[in-house]
Amino acid sequence: MRNMQNNRIPKMDHKDHDHSKPAEDSEIRDWKKKLIGSWIFAVPIAILMVYMRILNGIIISDNISIIILLILGFPVVFVFGFSTLKSGLRGLFTFYFNMDSLIALGTLIAYTTGILTFFMEISDYSGVSAMIMAIFVTGKYIEAKARGRASQEIKKLLELGAKNARVERDGKEIEIPISEVVVGDILIIKPGEKIPTDGIVVKGESAVDESMVTGESLPIDKAKGSNVIGATINQDGILYVKASKIGKDTFLAHIIELVEEAQGTKVPIQKTADYITSIFVPSILVVAILTFFGWWYFNGEIGRAIGVAISVLVIACPCALGLAVPIALTVGSGMGAKKGILIRKGEAIQTMKEIKYVVFDKTGTITKGKPEVRQIYSKVRESYLLEIAGSLEKLSEHPLSKAIVNKAGLKRYKPVKSFKILRGRGVEGKIGSKNIVIGNSSLMKEKSISLKGLEKNIEEFEDSGYTAVIISENKKVLGIIGIADAVKEDSRKAISILNYAGYKTVIITGDNERTAKAIAKEVGIKEVIANVLPEDKAKKVMELQRRGFVAFIGDGINDAPALKQSNVGIAMGTGTDIAIEAGDLVLARGSLMGVVGAINLSKATFSKIKQNLFWAFAYNVIAIPLAVAGVLHPIIAEIAMAASSITVVSNANLLRRKRI
Amino acid sequence: MKKVKINIEGMHCASCAANIERSLRKVPGVKEANVSLVGKKCFVEVDERVPEEELKKAVARAGYKTLSIEG
Repeated sequence: MRNMQNNRIPKMDHKDHDHSKPAEDSEIRDWKKKLIGSWIFAVPIAILMVYMRILNGIIISDNISIIILLILGFPVVFVFGFSTLKSGLRGLFTFYFNMDSLIALGTLIAYTTGILTFFMEISDYSGVSAMIMAIFVTGKYIEAKARGRASQEIKKLLELGAKNARVERDGKEIEIPISEVVVGDILIIKPGEKIPTDGIVVKGESAVDESMVTGESLPIDKAKGSNVIGATINQDGILYVKASKIGKDTFLAHIIELVEEAQGTKVPIQKTADYITSIFVPSILVVAILTFFGWWYFNGEIGRAIGVAISVLVIACPCALGLAVPIALTVGSGMGAKKGILIRKGEAIQTMKEIKYVVFDKTGTITKGKPEVRQIYSKVRESYLLEIAGSLEKLSEHPLSKAIVNKAGLKRYKPVKSFKILRGRGVEGKIGSKNIVIGNSSLMKEKSISLKGLEKNIEEFEDSGYTAVIISENKKVLGIIGIADAVKEDSRKAISILNYAGYKTVIITGDNERTAKAIAKEVGIKEVIANVLPEDKAKKVMELQRRGFVAFIGDGINDAPALKQSNVGIAMGTGTDIAIEAGDLVLARGSLMGVVGAINLSKATFSKIKQNLFWAFAYNVIAIPLAVAGVLHPIIAEIAMAASSITVVSNANLLRRKRI
Repeated sequence: MKKVKINIEGMHCASCAANIERSLRKVPGVKEANVSLVGKKCFVEVDERVPEEELKKAVARAGYKTLSIEG
């Protein structure tokens, strides 16, 4: 039963993903059909209109020409423009005005003038009506295509997942659709094949190309026990992988979800544009009516008044305004997703340009989060020191303890009695009749164990960035173990880029001042906030915020409060898991270069947003008064309108040229 | 409160997005509605007790069609 349920969820998911692609294409195809259809009639209309102007009714009388225009124009306006008319009129009657309402009104009024010419003295705009519709449809087609381009990266993500999987069932290898894979299945992946879903390697060795989901360009070595991500490509060996996550729970599904959801979030700068968009169409209707009466009253010619009013209706374009921000956000988030930089909140890209302080958590962010023993100072035989230390630390889960246990590599542990963990300080216990205390300096002080003569050694360790762990037996120090967490390969490079760009870099850590400073120096960080308990990180961020906007970079697991407190929280993934809830931006990969990329991407996207908004505003502010003044012929007005929304979308696509 | 994703058909301009948001926000129990015009989706934060039918109706009132609602 359970298996069946598991089976069903990804199946639906899969279907949905397949749906999303043809939906986009069918929209483009639909506009293309309308485009071709309407121009078949619009071209002769254009020729006839020019002909009427030049020959002024010499060969064919104007009445006959108008009848021809009405006949040719009918399919353009009422057949190919049907969906636009329907949606526009519906909007007018339900008070949910939209772009189509303006076009519908403009074309219908224009077409009606053609009929009215037979009953009264009025200029004929029937040909214009068809031209407007044909240009509108063309503009929509180009815009739909450009919009498709804008979301191409996201579409690629959707198509990234494997379709089939080779599994072992009842001792036999069979190929099944991905939707039928259940957690616990053993998947067999041959060289060059896609890893079907997230899992753990149980047999085999290979390198895996994870660039498509994490942005990491070098293949990652995988062996027994390694985590692998679905949709990544196995390079050169055969891997046997036990499926651990399927369907909606996979790494790829999470990335897609993040990217999609981000597009529904707003960038604060958008607020004004959104407000204007919401009142735009009714306002234009009012302006058009006023324009009509104004022209009729002052100019006296009703035909001219109608023409000007039509220009106003069709030139106004809420699309450029409404699309300016979301389209740039779409391109930006798609570009980011390709590099493992996931924008979760649109707001973050606006806030990013105000950032002054870039605060890094130490463990797992600047460093690898895997402490190792680096140096040992022993007053006794080193193997004895490690035997005692290893036996006690084996009982603790602390990362430092694990480092000691690994180093000791004992085959047999000594029995320990009355073992106690002293939180934040160390451990104690009894081996035989000997009292063993292992921990930091303050624990030794607490237990009144003298460190006399060792101060220098401890300082030396700390200056190298090691955490000094002191081992004592019956109140006498046996030795010191220096443990360090290696700095990630590109931490130094990333921080120097940030320093150069003028950011104030800060490290925040629970280590003591000396150790923290040593690491800060190693990677080039200027300011150190040491001795911070995990729960106080958010408070320290708040203190820094009095001096300026803070971006906090952490692993998102125990840093969640600090990530939330900061102005922009950047959560680091570990490569196989992403911390979804905490950050405003999420990095799929654990490299600090991602932070540089995230900052650059945010800034580039935001400046594109500003550009787009500027053009969209400028267009409407200039074009509408020109139309009201009667300077623009309705056809020119419609061309300008179509051009404005195409410009905004194409300009957003230009963001791709930026290197991030 | 739960988050749902509504896939919508027929959106083709920015006013459309604004209309759908307006219509959905009027539904009692809907806390937030954000339309992604490019993704042709609407992300809605809504009380669990509000039936999906209500959301579909709101989308229809604004003049658009609900393709599917994903919880």
